[in-house]
Amino acid sequence: MRPALHAEWTKLRTVAGPLWLLLGMIAATVALSAGATSVVTCTSADCGGDVTRLSLTGVQLGQAMVAILAVLVISGEYSSGMIRTTLTAMPHRATAFAAKAITLTGVVAVAGTTAVLGSLLAGRLILHRHGFTAAPGHPALSLSDGPTLRATAGSILYLTLIALLSLGIAAIVRDSATSIGIILGLLYLLPILSQVIGNPHGQRLLQQIGPMSAGLAIQATTNLHSLPLSPWAGLGVTAGWAAATLVAGGLLLRVRDA
Amino acid sequence: MSAPGIVVAGLRKRYGATLALDGMSFTVRPGVVTGFVGPNGAGKSTTMRVILGLDAVDEGTALIEGKPYHSLRHPLSHVGSLLDAAALHPSRSARNHLLWLAHSQGLAARRVDQVIEQVGLTSAARRKAGGYSLGMRQRLGIAAALLGDPPVIMLDEPFNGMDPDGIIWMRGFLRSLAAQGRAVLVSSHLMSEVQDTAAHLVVAGRGKAIADAGVADLIAAASGGRVALRTTAGAHAMRVLAHAGATVAATGRDTITVSGLPADRIVMLLSESAVPFSEVSAHRATLEDVYQELTREAVEFRAATPTEVPR
Amino acid sequence: MTPTVTPYRSGRPVGRDGFFQLLHAEWTKFRTVPGWVTGVVVAALMVVLVALLAGVSSNQKGSPPVPIGPGGEPVTDSFYFVHQPLAGNGSITVSVPALRSSIPTGPADLRPGIVPWAKAGLIIKQSTRQGSPYAAIMVTGSHGVRMQDNYVHDTAGLPGSVSAASVRRLRLDRSGDAITGYASADGRHWTKVGTVHVRGLGPTAQGGLFVASPPSVHGMGTRGSVSTAVFEDLRTHGRWAGGIWTGDQVGRKSPSFAGYPQNTSGSFTGSDGSFTVTGAGDIAPAVRETLPTGGTLKDILTGTFAALIAVIVVGALYITTEYRKNLIHLTLAAAPRRSRVLVAKAVVLGVVTFVAGLAGAVVAAPLGTWLARANGVYVFPVASSTELRVALGTGALLATASILALAVGTIFRHSAGAVTTVIVAIVLPYLLIANPFMPASVSDWLTRVTPAAAFAVQQTLVPYHQVTSIYTPYNGYYPLAPWAGLAVLAGYATVSLAVAAALLRRRDA
Repeated sequence: MRPALHAEWTKLRTVAGPLWLLLGMIAATVALSAGATSVVTCTSADCGGDVTRLSLTGVQLGQAMVAILAVLVISGEYSSGMIRTTLTAMPHRATAFAAKAITLTGVVAVAGTTAVLGSLLAGRLILHRHGFTAAPGHPALSLSDGPTLRATAGSILYLTLIALLSLGIAAIVRDSATSIGIILGLLYLLPILSQVIGNPHGQRLLQQIGPMSAGLAIQATTNLHSLPLSPWAGLGVTAGWAAATLVAGGLLLRVRDA
Repeated sequence: MSAPGIVVAGLRKRYGATLALDGMSFTVRPGVVTGFVGPNGAGKSTTMRVILGLDAVDEGTALIEGKPYHSLRHPLSHVGSLLDAAALHPSRSARNHLLWLAHSQGLAARRVDQVIEQVGLTSAARRKAGGYSLGMRQRLGIAAALLGDPPVIMLDEPFNGMDPDGIIWMRGFLRSLAAQGRAVLVSSHLMSEVQDTAAHLVVAGRGKAIADAGVADLIAAASGGRVALRTTAGAHAMRVLAHAGATVAATGRDTITVSGLPADRIVMLLSESAVPFSEVSAHRATLEDVYQELTREAVEFRAATPTEVPR
Repeated sequence: MTPTVTPYRSGRPVGRDGFFQLLHAEWTKFRTVPGWVTGVVVAALMVVLVALLAGVSSNQKGSPPVPIGPGGEPVTDSFYFVHQPLAGNGSITVSVPALRSSIPTGPADLRPGIVPWAKAGLIIKQSTRQGSPYAAIMVTGSHGVRMQDNYVHDTAGLPGSVSAASVRRLRLDRSGDAITGYASADGRHWTKVGTVHVRGLGPTAQGGLFVASPPSVHGMGTRGSVSTAVFEDLRTHGRWAGGIWTGDQVGRKSPSFAGYPQNTSGSFTGSDGSFTVTGAGDIAPAVRETLPTGGTLKDILTGTFAALIAVIVVGALYITTEYRKNLIHLTLAAAPRRSRVLVAKAVVLGVVTFVAGLAGAVVAAPLGTWLARANGVYVFPVASSTELRVALGTGALLATASILALAVGTIFRHSAGAVTTVIVAIVLPYLLIANPFMPASVSDWLTRVTPAAAFAVQQTLVPYHQVTSIYTPYNGYYPLAPWAGLAVLAGYATVSLAVAAALLRRRDA
């Protein structure tokens, strides 16, 4: 396992693409978060809402770039044919796949931590200037606040789970454009489609099974009862998706001819 | 000690309606270059992918030094291979490509620099592989195959895209690898490429090995030990040679084909009997002839000649 | 002497070097890749499937019917009505010294507030049936005196709000179909506000005083309000029934009426021409916020989002596959004028995806509407010209998005990046505007400048100035007109295509 990990890490660091994608992910996440917090102001009349969640809005954009990176880790090898070199060097396909997953998890966790903490810091600075002060009941965002800590750590976990989910789907589909279409469809479409379901139970169900609509419940710090799922259960749904696609992708990688 | 080289036995594989492999069996021994030839679609690449554990077979086994590929702990130290020289990430440098492969085998970066030098890529090693010519990619592929210093080397169409200098280098290189006692399997669909390199030949056709023998034996079998003789005294010559035990046949006004006697003995006999002759030549078949003979039946796709192109 | 060699010349006729040939070649390329054809078919099917899902998943059978106005539009027709029959022509005059509104700030916590379109005044209406024709003159919370009829028509009269210091006098005259409204600040000088012709009032109409108080908008939500008006000097002339005035809550149970705030109810007290009337509700066209259970054509066509993803993937692959397999060399060798190749690809892709989107919408819209209505869901009605615009617009939206993906794919030469960029550019703004915390100004801005503006082409709801509501893109009200919204996306596609063409010319293939 160690040589496989070392090889995958070397692969990841010796092309410029992954680094740029991760830097872009951090920039996009922080930028969208900062943008979202800078458009709200707290007036004396109306100052409700979940400011922690708002400060972490950028994760919705950052996850798309995480998905690209994850897809390229495997589809990129299929499109060039290098997957055969990889599997010749590491004939234990499960090990090779696990090495990819672990390396990806590592780099996304590091970049995700930077992106999420950056978003939170931006939110803290911006919200304070927009009237969200301790007086109307909005103390500065801080990791010492339990729910905020949970939302922050959960957002980092969420990004790594999206990376794993994407890796699994890319291993199943193999073509990068189709994989990314399916991943972004799963993430972005389910919440939109759930709005057309007239039956409230059906609507709630769709929001509960959507990897994004369920998983981002981890970012909520207020109004927890109105969420489709409790925060950790929601993140659990995303983890379930990641596990299911990884297992399916891993099995297909084992049984299919390379 | 386990069996050296590659042993392929009874491989069978079907893709939908096509039978890609139909009982492919052969052995690759150490110390010689084994040519793996056959028309396109004969199953050469599929066999190589099966040997490397990339494709699963319906039946049969392919063993490297007596073990299936997937049970090798550091596989590149047992067998080095080159399937597709273009299978690279275009923006990764050659050195880094070899570096991740080395890391996958627990090898140090020093080894990477050694193989780069061995294939003569040192000056280009830090350039992006996407900008390489086909010949340079082939060299990079060879370097990857040599990385684990394996006793078995397997190359799929290594001459493709190489310039004449490259082909000469490749031939010498393959012979030197074999001379070090390695088992070398080289596939090609052009006989002339393996003519001067391979000592042993596996000819594939329609998913099986239709010949598996030494190059000298194959040529001798195709030549049949025949000698062509040109003489104006045909009847006299035939009498003398038949008396000495040869089978003789007149094949033209001045030509006789002799079999059963080597050429030097024929010259001696004719000289002793004072039979005049102008030419004695061993009828030597080329590998091309052998190949044509063997694969005549096995060719599945034959292009129409240009004159037959329908208007 | 060397023999003369005749150079080879093909006997075949030389093909014409036309754009049509290029189109034909690109079309052949497109239709012979099963994956792409499947992608486009899937796009059309997604539009239909989601419409089916939307249609069958709702069940509002048994809910009270949505009141429909004389023009066929859904209306809110819930208010407190103090009335008596008017059997023919007649007039009614009143003065209004006070109109006060209250808005709940919490359960059982009612605070005085301003409801801009709180209404108190005179009305002559066919009957107390919801949706029946009417004409009315009224004072409002902050829009002065207005004359309104048949829910959608509104005419401004005297400005300024009403108080003890500035009493407003109102008069309504019926003469056959014609109803004329007058207003006066002093009781001597009367100004005619307007004359309207109301068909179908019938021989005996109901006339009298009314008070309505529409929900008050707070952030991204509304709160039901209640208003009380004081009426004095009530006088009638003509064929009024005379005798006692009856107080009624019109439209007590209605999908477009949220009811009274807690612990309040409609009522009237007084006699001898002086009354105090309390009421809630509105007499106005229904909008998305007042009719939350209503569906729109845009909701039914939500599958467009799924279709978008499919055509974006196909559009990007249409060019990036050529780069990956180096087929681009062959393509450009066959047609050295590179921009024309790109245009030919855009045309083929555009036509194919337009047809898919149009076909999907043409099947999905009537099917989804029919299923929803069969399940008791009220669907906001649209004119057939609007329905045609939505169907054509859906096709054009898919076509433009796939051409944008083609252009971005040419620029990036990388399918995953191109697909993500285009999907994020179109779909992410839509997700952001769905965030309840997002201020309306930001939502409006996002749907003006980002490619998500194109969804305006599917909007069917129209905002009314006389109804205060949440007219946000999320509720189906876009800041740009339908085709203007699509033009924003088309602008992105055109610029990207121009950049792509320039790069394609300049770069080595």
